[in-house]
Amino acid sequence: MIYEAISFYALALFLTFFAYKTISATNPIHSALYLVLTMLGLGAVFFSLGAHFIAGVQVIVYAGAVMVLFVMVLMLFDLKSELQAFSKGMLSGFLKVFSAAALAGVAIGVISHSVQVVDGASWGVGDPNADVTKYLSILLYTNYLFAFEVLGVLLLVVAIGAVALSRMKGGTHADRR
Amino acid sequence: MGSDIFEIGVNFIKMVLIFVMMVQLVPLLVWVERRGSAYIQNRFGPNRVGPLGLTQLLADAVKFLTKEDFMPERGYRFLFLAAPVVALIPAALAFGAIPLSHPIFVEPFEWLGQTWGPYQFDFQSYKIGIGIVFVLAVSSLAAYSLMLAGYASNNKYSLYGALRASAQTISYELAMGLSIVGILLLFNTFDFSEMIRLQSGPLSFHVLGTVYTFDFLPNWGIFYQPLGAILLLAAMFAETNRLPFDLPEAEAELVAGYHTEYGGIKMNMFYIGEYGHMLVASGLMVTFYFGGYTLYPFLTPGTVSSWFAGSTPTMTSVWTSLILHVVFLTKVLLFLWLFIWVRWSLPRFRYDQLMDLGWKTMLPWALGNTIVTAIVIFIMRTSW
Repeated sequence: MIYEAISFYALALFLTFFAYKTISATNPIHSALYLVLTMLGLGAVFFSLGAHFIAGVQVIVYAGAVMVLFVMVLMLFDLKSELQAFSKGMLSGFLKVFSAAALAGVAIGVISHSVQVVDGASWGVGDPNADVTKYLSILLYTNYLFAFEVLGVLLLVVAIGAVALSRMKGGTHADRR
Repeated sequence: MGSDIFEIGVNFIKMVLIFVMMVQLVPLLVWVERRGSAYIQNRFGPNRVGPLGLTQLLADAVKFLTKEDFMPERGYRFLFLAAPVVALIPAALAFGAIPLSHPIFVEPFEWLGQTWGPYQFDFQSYKIGIGIVFVLAVSSLAAYSLMLAGYASNNKYSLYGALRASAQTISYELAMGLSIVGILLLFNTFDFSEMIRLQSGPLSFHVLGTVYTFDFLPNWGIFYQPLGAILLLAAMFAETNRLPFDLPEAEAELVAGYHTEYGGIKMNMFYIGEYGHMLVASGLMVTFYFGGYTLYPFLTPGTVSSWFAGSTPTMTSVWTSLILHVVFLTKVLLFLWLFIWVRWSLPRFRYDQLMDLGWKTMLPWALGNTIVTAIVIFIMRTSW
């Protein structure tokens, strides 16, 4: 038990540090790389909680796919002017503080609501031999089937939209009359 | 970890040994690659240093270690130094999760005036229930080392190479992930050991609820999923950035791609990462489609342990595991030779051909394979 506590607090410390560096780093690529480390750390937290499948998916989807694309696209841009516009000045400073406060509010709201919902014991959480993946898939295909399918449709729409935009002459800045 | 100091100690030594084994296979593979390419191209290859040129790699290692430690002046120092290390990590972590042989069962024994209770040591660095997801997750991080190297070098060729490499890795990761869904559906598990156990029996097809068994063939995945095996192999070639998919380092266009600015031991670490990826790819192919460490009619955990009927259970288990490990290594080495053979036989793709192959050929085939497999399994396993 004590090892779990030590590993959790060490992870939490690293995660907070990486998350802080994500928003405080001035170089966008460094910032994205810190976000990658944050995602990996989140995967480790999921793993330490026994949600092995979610940990794996977290790393595959966020660290392995989404952030790779982020970093790749950031490398293509010349971000010197944006860098100066966003790292100096009262207005952007105010924006930063405001968005941080809004995000903190959302996070606190989510946590305070979700604590009552989670009932780990009935799903075998904490039992190392429990097949969490199986429970997860049963949940996805019974209780949350509608949300799951709707999310799939949403992703399909996004993919079709991206293809349509990329084939349109001029992209998002096309001159449509 | 383990319940007492003996188990923890053995597990720790095992992790170190498996990592060292992976790293030590690299010089051997480089030797095989150089001699093999020379053989294919009707040359001699390195044959002066030591017998058959075997100690050439030792000389190379000394050269790598004593080279000037070069650093691009306007690059990013930390990222530049981190990239070779990041190249090594995914392969090492993924290789540790692949079972290399049958677990060793140790009976209780007396040592230092104490009874040490029965143990089970898995022949792998660490056992994770969702091993396949873990390996996919870890190897999806390999793209970062290329991008870090290309970006931190502050060099146009490096950056182009890094962009090509990451685009290629992302494109083929989809096909790779989808191509193994069929085999996952078939064996109904995420666990490597369970998958190998299911492949160690005779081939048995389910047809409309009844089971037909073929005694002379092993129950390997290749007989159910030949298309999946071919797709996975092709995607693995792309993931390891080797010919015919080595566009990130196409020397005629990009000097040396993302590792243009690297030299000495840092360059060497990229090589170790690449060969480590080959090793993981071969291990995955063997585990998914070729029965892992078993060879059904002759060498399975059951038949091999019956050879040692006279000895103690612990020694039987140890010898069984070692013999099955040799079986696994042989299969993996055959695949590694395939990697080398293909490299010196096929020319490089053009970039648009590469993208067409990934997105317009392999992805639809992998998707179709998944859908057809799911439908066939549903129909064939239901008793009507």
